[in-house]
Amino acid sequence: MKSNFLKLTLAVLLASSLFTSCDKNKEEANDEEVITTMKLTFVPVGGGSSLIYEFNDLDGPGGAAPTQDEIILAPSKTYNVTLQLLNKTETPAEDITVEVREESDAHRFYYETSPGSSITISGLDNDVNGVPLGIASTWTTGGAATGSIKITLRHYPAVPPNKAAGDLANSSKSSTDIEVIFNTRVQ
Amino acid sequence: MLTVFPFILFSLKIIASILLVLFSAFLADAQVCSLTISGHIEDVDTKEKLKAASVTIKETGMQRSTDDKGDFIFSGLCAGNYTLLITHIGCDPVEKKITLQKNYHFDVYMMHSRKELGNVIVEAKKNVANTGFKKDLSGNTLAETTGFTLAEALNKLNGVTMLQSGPTVSKPVIHGLHGNRILTINNGVRQEGQQWGNDHAPEIDPFIADKLIVIKGVDELRYGSDAIGGVILVEPKALRTIPGYTAELNTAYFTNNRQMVVSGLFEQQLKKHPAFHYRLQGTLKKGANVATPDYRLNNTGNEEQSFSLTAGWRKEKFSSELFYSYFATKLGIFTGSHIGNITDLENAIAAPKPDDVFLGQDTYTINRPYQDVTHHLLKSKSVFYKEGQKFTVLVSGQFNQREEYDIVRSSTNTRPQLDLSIYTFSEEISWEHLKKNNFNGVAGISLMQQDNSYSGRYFIPNYFSYSFGGYYLEKWSKHKWELQGGIRYDNKTINTTRLKFNGDTLNYDFNFSTLASSFNAIYKVKTGWRLNTNISLASRAPYVNELLSDGIHHGTATYEKGDINLQTEKSFNITTGINYQNKKNTFSFDVLLYSNHIRDFIYQQPMPEDPVLTIAGAFPLIEYKQTDAGLNGFDISASYKPVPAFEWSSKYAFLNARNKKTDDWLIWMPANRLTNEITYSFKENKAFTNTYISAEMKNVMEQKHVPDESNGKQDYKAPPPAYTLINMNASTKVSVFKVPTTIGIGVRNLLNTVYRDYLNSMRYFADEMGVNVSIRLKFQIL
Repeated sequence: MKSNFLKLTLAVLLASSLFTSCDKNKEEANDEEVITTMKLTFVPVGGGSSLIYEFNDLDGPGGAAPTQDEIILAPSKTYNVTLQLLNKTETPAEDITVEVREESDAHRFYYETSPGSSITISGLDNDVNGVPLGIASTWTTGGAATGSIKITLRHYPAVPPNKAAGDLANSSKSSTDIEVIFNTRVQ
Repeated sequence: MLTVFPFILFSLKIIASILLVLFSAFLADAQVCSLTISGHIEDVDTKEKLKAASVTIKETGMQRSTDDKGDFIFSGLCAGNYTLLITHIGCDPVEKKITLQKNYHFDVYMMHSRKELGNVIVEAKKNVANTGFKKDLSGNTLAETTGFTLAEALNKLNGVTMLQSGPTVSKPVIHGLHGNRILTINNGVRQEGQQWGNDHAPEIDPFIADKLIVIKGVDELRYGSDAIGGVILVEPKALRTIPGYTAELNTAYFTNNRQMVVSGLFEQQLKKHPAFHYRLQGTLKKGANVATPDYRLNNTGNEEQSFSLTAGWRKEKFSSELFYSYFATKLGIFTGSHIGNITDLENAIAAPKPDDVFLGQDTYTINRPYQDVTHHLLKSKSVFYKEGQKFTVLVSGQFNQREEYDIVRSSTNTRPQLDLSIYTFSEEISWEHLKKNNFNGVAGISLMQQDNSYSGRYFIPNYFSYSFGGYYLEKWSKHKWELQGGIRYDNKTINTTRLKFNGDTLNYDFNFSTLASSFNAIYKVKTGWRLNTNISLASRAPYVNELLSDGIHHGTATYEKGDINLQTEKSFNITTGINYQNKKNTFSFDVLLYSNHIRDFIYQQPMPEDPVLTIAGAFPLIEYKQTDAGLNGFDISASYKPVPAFEWSSKYAFLNARNKKTDDWLIWMPANRLTNEITYSFKENKAFTNTYISAEMKNVMEQKHVPDESNGKQDYKAPPPAYTLINMNASTKVSVFKVPTTIGIGVRNLLNTVYRDYLNSMRYFADEMGVNVSIRLKFQIL
């Protein structure tokens, strides 16, 4: 009996040493949901060089704090603005806007300016159902001012999406994917 | 505290007066033939209380059967010599001679047909198998929880509550503590999954268990030095020991969420191979969306598939058991509780009810967000007996995979956003010397290796951990005393790796030593009375999430951040219990007082001034911090049977949990609660047996002890008001075509009360489940 016991003990120890030697270096896929960057490209109507302003959080949520530009625009001017979402953790950077556009009926960008910012936003592009999407927009500036703008991407999880033109940015039908506040200056 | 003292005093007064009446009744007619012989019968190995054992007094021909608790009693006996014959299926009969002069009690340990160890151990002593504090759920009470989760079942025990994340996810809480402070022992193996998360439910099918036990005290040390809250034992019944087979089929249906449960069991002992016995068991469960009294919550369905296989081999001086279990579950998360950022959370909380888009679908379909969890457990246990000594070798392997599917922007995305896989191997060798010179002890060493890896969103790192430990427990019992002491040491090494976006890795290594010791004393003042005191020191190494978590928790829209400088948590716990049971078994009470002081208690501290800015907006930061905590409380329960058919029972659980460093209350602690239950048992007849109907009223108080807002706002919403629930149960056993069939009906929340519970994170968004009627059938083919 004793020898049986010893044999078993030995087997156990052998088995455990086998287990422990298992390799743990499992390669992992990074989260495909990471969005590091919001990029706004301003093309002035009637000519002039385009402006680019960005929000960047290159290491994703947490870690180093995000960096962001101040949006500086000329007074009494109209800009055609295109918004882009990028994942710069990949090379070349992945353009997330493509995915948003593919499911345009489940997404919507909202642009909310602070009072007195002297910026008016209009001309949002529409989704497949003719409801505002907001990847493209038109910004019109007035006199010199400082203020801020909140850009929110709302996502409709319902299947099929129940997006409607009258939905507000805080509609409980949708939830927030992106929310960035830029300081603005018209000078 | 103040409001409770009068209640205790009042209860004690009642108890005292009842006792006085009872004692005087016994004393008055002690001269005539009014002596009793009582006893308690257990299986020597499994410590299972043996019911339906037959006890006969040869001289008088009187016969009794033991009840569910393994107890029997003969009363109205005259002084004289008696011979008792005790028999139980599968055991060799035992004879015991008694010279009766005063009331006599003895314990019998019977052995199921294993010849070599001597037939039985008979001890003329009132001995209980488990020293320390023990509460269990078995028989009718366990049957009433058919189809519920493990935590919901354990919630029936006084002092055990639940931490929930919506209707599908629930975790047990013992005396205010949960997660890694509670060890769950699944058929003898320490469950190793992802217990650290508040929304990670235990990966166990409650149908495996014949008994669910919560223990506190010295015996905890067998399983770890870190059981600061207690140990939950999920105990299957012992394998069949006599030739033949048993088949059992359990089914249940719930009206609220159209939940269906089917669970089957088959076990056999082969006549040709008497050493071999086995059992197969499996469960299927599926539930649709849950309805509150006013609305139905979308995406709150659940699915579960699990099975287990046990095979045993018993020979002289040797037995071996192989056990495999598979558990898989898919749990829907209420869509309205998946939060994008803090603004969304505040909007959702401010609304009196969830938006209509999250309500009203009555379907079994589970969409995102959901959790998909699988758990495998393989265990081999071998026992060798030699001259009053028992050697056990236990080897086990576990694999747990947790996949969390969030709501994602792109509908073509089919991958989980959080994917954690954990492999655990453990080995344990123990030596036990059976009772000799009033001593009975056990010692063991254990090893564990664990490998955790993640993909998708980072929450906790990859890690490899290795631990070793040893324990020694000794018990001494004589006459009215039973003393038990034990010590355990564990050492744990954790090597972690986090892969960063740019291909860099971030590595941290840790080593923790934890020591625990415990001492327990039981004194039986006189028949029926039992005093029990336990002093325990336990320590728990910080878990990987407490050290290194770093990410967004979507259920609460918070950013959780660990701290690599955390130290081990040390607890000093004193528990005292008083039990009384009268001789006629018509009255009993149980008082348990505890005081748990935890130094360097790890908790989540909201940092309101320090939000984390991300591209999805700002998230409130929650950091793991350490403080000194004091958890003081008591559980009291009493039951009384004025007539044999009628039983009243009452239980009250009270807890006071303080953060001693900030001199404030601790957050997320269960509210005090009072439960009253009345049961009426019908007379047995040829057709119906074990027939009863019961009604339960549960009062859960409002949790007023929450952190003060002057220390920074720590919660989004004030605790919900107190609530009262009425639950009912009825059951009977009949023979349908000669198949013993148990039919049961249960009603939860009979009055369809609208309420929210402080320990359910869904209280921010929605109400709890409304009325739920369940019908259950159990067929036994013997």
